[in-house]
Amino acid sequence: MNILLAAALKVVGVLVFVMANAFMLIWLERKVSGYIQRRYGPLRVGGPAGIYQSAADILKLLAKEDFMPGGADRWLWLLAPVVSMVPAVLVYLVLPIGRTFTLQDLGVGLVFFSSVTSFTLLAIFMAGWGSNNKYSLLGAMRAGAQLFSYEVPLILSTIGVVLIAGSLRLQTIVAAQTQHGWFFFEQIVGFIVFFIASIAELNRTPFDLAEGESEIIAGYHTEYSGMRWAMFMLAEYSNLFTSSALGVALFFGGWHGPWLPGWVWFLLKTYIVVFVGMWIRWTLPRIRIDQLLDLGWKFLLPVSVANILGTALVLMVR
Amino acid sequence: MADDRGAFPQAPARGVRSGAAMAGHPGTGSAPEPVLDGDAPPEDVGRRLMTVNVGPQHPSTHGVLRLIVTLDGETVVRVVPDIGYLHRNFEKIVEGWAYPGIVPFSDRNDYLSAINNEIAVCLAVERLADIEIPPRASYLRVLFSELQRILSHLLFYGTFGMDLGAFSPFMYAFREREVAYTLMEKATGARMLYGYNRIGGLRNDVGDEWLRELEGFLDYVEGQAWPEYMGLLIDNEIYRARTIGVGRITQEQAIAWGASGPMLRATGIPWDLRKTAPYLCYDRLEFDVPVGKNGDTYDSAMVRMLEIKESIRIIRQVLRALPSGPVLAKVRPTVRTKPGDYYSRVESPRGEVGVFLVSDGGHKPYRLKWRAPSFCHLQMVPLMCEGWKIADMIAAVGSLDVVMGEVDR
Amino acid sequence: MGLFDRVWNAAKSMAVGHAITIREMFHRPVTVRYPEEKPPFERGSRSVPVLKVNEATGLLNCVACGLCERSCPPSCIEIVQAVDAAGKKKPWPETFELDLSHCMVCNLCIEACPFDALEMADVVELSSYQVQDLIFSKDQLTELWKTSKALRVAGGERI
Repeated sequence: MNILLAAALKVVGVLVFVMANAFMLIWLERKVSGYIQRRYGPLRVGGPAGIYQSAADILKLLAKEDFMPGGADRWLWLLAPVVSMVPAVLVYLVLPIGRTFTLQDLGVGLVFFSSVTSFTLLAIFMAGWGSNNKYSLLGAMRAGAQLFSYEVPLILSTIGVVLIAGSLRLQTIVAAQTQHGWFFFEQIVGFIVFFIASIAELNRTPFDLAEGESEIIAGYHTEYSGMRWAMFMLAEYSNLFTSSALGVALFFGGWHGPWLPGWVWFLLKTYIVVFVGMWIRWTLPRIRIDQLLDLGWKFLLPVSVANILGTALVLMVR
Repeated sequence: MADDRGAFPQAPARGVRSGAAMAGHPGTGSAPEPVLDGDAPPEDVGRRLMTVNVGPQHPSTHGVLRLIVTLDGETVVRVVPDIGYLHRNFEKIVEGWAYPGIVPFSDRNDYLSAINNEIAVCLAVERLADIEIPPRASYLRVLFSELQRILSHLLFYGTFGMDLGAFSPFMYAFREREVAYTLMEKATGARMLYGYNRIGGLRNDVGDEWLRELEGFLDYVEGQAWPEYMGLLIDNEIYRARTIGVGRITQEQAIAWGASGPMLRATGIPWDLRKTAPYLCYDRLEFDVPVGKNGDTYDSAMVRMLEIKESIRIIRQVLRALPSGPVLAKVRPTVRTKPGDYYSRVESPRGEVGVFLVSDGGHKPYRLKWRAPSFCHLQMVPLMCEGWKIADMIAAVGSLDVVMGEVDR
Repeated sequence: MGLFDRVWNAAKSMAVGHAITIREMFHRPVTVRYPEEKPPFERGSRSVPVLKVNEATGLLNCVACGLCERSCPPSCIEIVQAVDAAGKKKPWPETFELDLSHCMVCNLCIEACPFDALEMADVVELSSYQVQDLIFSKDQLTELWKTSKALRVAGGERI
């Protein structure tokens, strides 16, 4: 009974965090984009610097009509937003938030993380196929090619870290960095590959082909509205947070830092990485699908393999 | 991928008359089968193609352009531009209007280069009515048409960046456009559709204070904004990868399709009406005509960016050489032209804007034909896009810098 | 160009772009918060031609000559001259209607008027859900003239 209660608490905690975090990040994205573009960003709804805007948005989206396009594949269409939420919530399980604070410190945490996030593709494809819309289908096809080809360098780029730390357990990797120094410095190549690949995994500019607005309207979620659309957004921002958090855990020492408690450091570092992602989003133009695949297979993949070999060689010599 | 599941009609093609629904979709059972016109080209039979309507409601169609695109996966097989959503019957309406009223109405054709349109009309009417405009008016017209060119090319920069997926360039371009619009408002009284030219000159003069302000704006654009534009977008590696070689047209094709302006100059032909058929006081001013090499989207965008600099150079010369005097010739309220016809043409930011005016001696045109550069450029869309990806199609259409108000008139 | 040069150049060009955006981020926004904060109208901005009132007599300057009506390209002005009981024409308009949905704010009516009876107002918040509401009567146009802050020149400067 206690196990169940603990599990329920964890689930509720994660869901609350996902919502609050998404509010925060959507607001932050708007503010960052606003200030980068010399605008104010949202201010009208109120709160300090217009922070209530996200809450107002959620209320609006809840009140909206749940509209299903004619000829949609009913169950695929209905389930796709829910399916997109599942991996987004599930990955919080292994995040090393504080020195002793992990929801479930799995021995194969890193593998768990990457295998769960690959489910996102399923949701995108369900949405794209189920919508009975050509733009959605094009978006889903793009997302399929993209997520599949960037999954590989994403995983390979982390192996250098795993080799040094000698473990797949995220807590152990972070703990290794407290003695060893942050892996960012040794694994800078790995980090760059990881960062590029994770931006691509998140479908964010310059890799936002799956929802490339000027080309295919909104990609796979063209036909969604109201709360279903909001669930895609929640999942997207939750993924942004978790993949930044993974980057922090692997390369920037996770909760490691002086004076402040571990979880503060963890959140702080994660939000800085998130900010960099936003900064990139509002700077760069979009890449084309064939260039995207070229970059993934012909550049990132060889580089990450070379990084693994180099790391292994150095470890062997040492 | 999805093609293997037989989701798409076997031989859809030119003349497919279905909406966005996919025929034979497993979830529907009721999706309409596309109706073929019976003119599907033989090479399409047996290929699994998909027809998508891009526009008239689409985030990047520059107004209400509709492209009927046949896709093979991501590759554009065929694209048919469909126009007419913004038709306002300009040419017929002005047959019933007196000449002074046509000038402000012509603003609405290419609403991003209103001054150039007005000048085209004024030049034709002034020629047929034997009106000599004062020298100050001639210089000020050049000044305003170059300022308009800067404004229009700034918008091009912003929207082209947007077409390529970069949003911030758009806002930066509008930041400068706002300043320029305020300048325009101070001089002409309006922000976009100026109605500033009159038959015989300009409606009102500009003050010295305004000219100083303009000079400050030019310094700002040249010193700060322009390098920023280049650094943020044009020199960016992703931008270069997206544009170099894309939507390429050769010199022969450009001439054959009647391209003009930056589209023609991007292919390397130094054809600029300001040089080759000077009007107003352009023959007294010194400037270069930037040309490209390859005729791809990168070159046409680059030509426009360089033209901003040349326009600044021209305006600086105008400011130095600006003669004093009246800005409006003595013209009777009812302008009458002598019978005859005249084709006046000016170099608008998009290319050659031509007004063919036929007069029967009255105070209204007998016939007025408007030559719109965007209309000619739009015909090149299939030439530029077929065989490329969807994203390239958007870039190619963006590089044409079409204004649908001018295409449909 | 070798692979390393290409990667280096790509990285450099992107670094330049990011430097620009982060620099802009720490500048003041250039936008205004519209309903609370309104950008000023430039001297001579045009929005809608309105009827001028003679300050001394309180009467309209308009004598209903109809020159503006004839000079208006889209024919959006309609004037009916006042007539007294005997059927004699009076020098003021009985009705003066302006269809703002057609008006293209070209200023030609003002230039045509020999009596200085029309002027451009600087009121732009005139949108309406009903197209009929955009037909302005004589009284409404006079009212607009009274409420609009005086521009009186530049764009409407007499030539």
